[in-house]
Amino acid sequence: MPEPLKRKTLDGTLYVRPPEIEAWIKKLETVDDVERLRQFAASVGHVPTEALIYFMRTAWKNGAHGEFEKIFRILMRRIGLSLCSAISDSSMVNARGIRDEIMGRFAERIAKDCKVRTALLDAFEVRFNMAFAAFRKSALRQIGGSVVDTVPLGEDGDHGLEISAEVEDAAADFLSGDPSILDDPAFRSELMAAINSLPDDQKKVIGLLIQGFQIDSKDESVMSIARILQCDERTVRNRRDRAYKTLKNILQKEIA
Amino acid sequence: MTPHQHSKLDEEEVLLAYSAEHTHDHTTLEHYLREYPDHAQALVACSIELMVGETHSGEIAEVSDEVVERAWQRFQSAVSLPQGESVANPFATLNPAAFKSLAKKLDINNLLLIRIRDRTIDATTIPLRFVQKLATALDATSEVMMSYLSNPPAMVSEQRFRSSVKPAVTEQITFSKAVETSQLTQAQQDALKALQD
Repeated sequence: MPEPLKRKTLDGTLYVRPPEIEAWIKKLETVDDVERLRQFAASVGHVPTEALIYFMRTAWKNGAHGEFEKIFRILMRRIGLSLCSAISDSSMVNARGIRDEIMGRFAERIAKDCKVRTALLDAFEVRFNMAFAAFRKSALRQIGGSVVDTVPLGEDGDHGLEISAEVEDAAADFLSGDPSILDDPAFRSELMAAINSLPDDQKKVIGLLIQGFQIDSKDESVMSIARILQCDERTVRNRRDRAYKTLKNILQKEIA
Repeated sequence: MTPHQHSKLDEEEVLLAYSAEHTHDHTTLEHYLREYPDHAQALVACSIELMVGETHSGEIAEVSDEVVERAWQRFQSAVSLPQGESVANPFATLNPAAFKSLAKKLDINNLLLIRIRDRTIDATTIPLRFVQKLATALDATSEVMMSYLSNPPAMVSEQRFRSSVKPAVTEQITFSKAVETSQLTQAQQDALKALQD
């Protein structure tokens, strides 16, 4: 029976592994460590990383340091591949060094979890990809990697007064129409990749709009985009409109 | 967990807690933004990262044995540090924002500050005036600072576990070399060189 996780969510409930992860763990508990390692390393029938983390922690707790090291190395290889995709050589200055540093920080987190058992890896047993994306984002914010610009910056400043009719049109017909378009996996995938390529300030505005935040509100209790990003409403609209224009161009090229 | 305890969580822990929530909708993000206003920008960036998901660069990815080995060494170093190590570490209490702000205050970038913190620079080559500036900024004495910087680098601490590949000892670099290779502006490099004893 897999050991329950110890960390709690904001509302005080314990973290729970998804049923499919619990099922994987139960299944893998029925085989010996040699067979488990074989399955962890196999590229077919990919064992979820959440289960890998569970058995790595268990190996440490049981003093099986040889097994721990083998799982650790398989895990790091997976993480390395994921980082190559998220922080590619063409997307960031010194990408290789940054990937190394993030892997190193994760290795240190594992060490802390081993030493003090403060449930530091619990989130990674719930949804690894989500947790690692959060970990990566935090590390990147601290390291301060410079993104290689792939999208030309708009000519207007944030506070520009004039917004062209063309941009207004783009803003009007993009996303503000039928939100169900986001349910189309193909469109969503293209859109998300396009959003990811936007400059940071525009990405934040678009990201918050898609998540349903309103641009501004006179009601101070409402958490608007202007309030969250600590800028005025006109700045938010300008960033949105520039982003819409860029997204429209990218998506039209993709569709063409 | 009380709101007071919440406020003590550093950015990394807040983002991880957010990532482990069942749903990542408007309500969840707003809840976290209200609970952790100090980490609002990080939370927004993280929410978008989770929404966008992994985008593939199309580049061929390969993870070398050396990369995995370096991570293993980093693990070994961290796991073999004595529990009391953090007490003597003047950087230990810095959250990411404070770390960044320290780099700014010293007019250097995060990369150089990380190298200093991780002791990948030979302490004897660090100008004393720089050590003093660093100590003042960290509210520590120059002696404590120098003593911390003179410890072995994180990667060459006692090896408690045997590795299948012989671990390589990380060579420390000189302060000058670190200044030249940390992507600092020319003006920053000149200012640091001017501090040389």
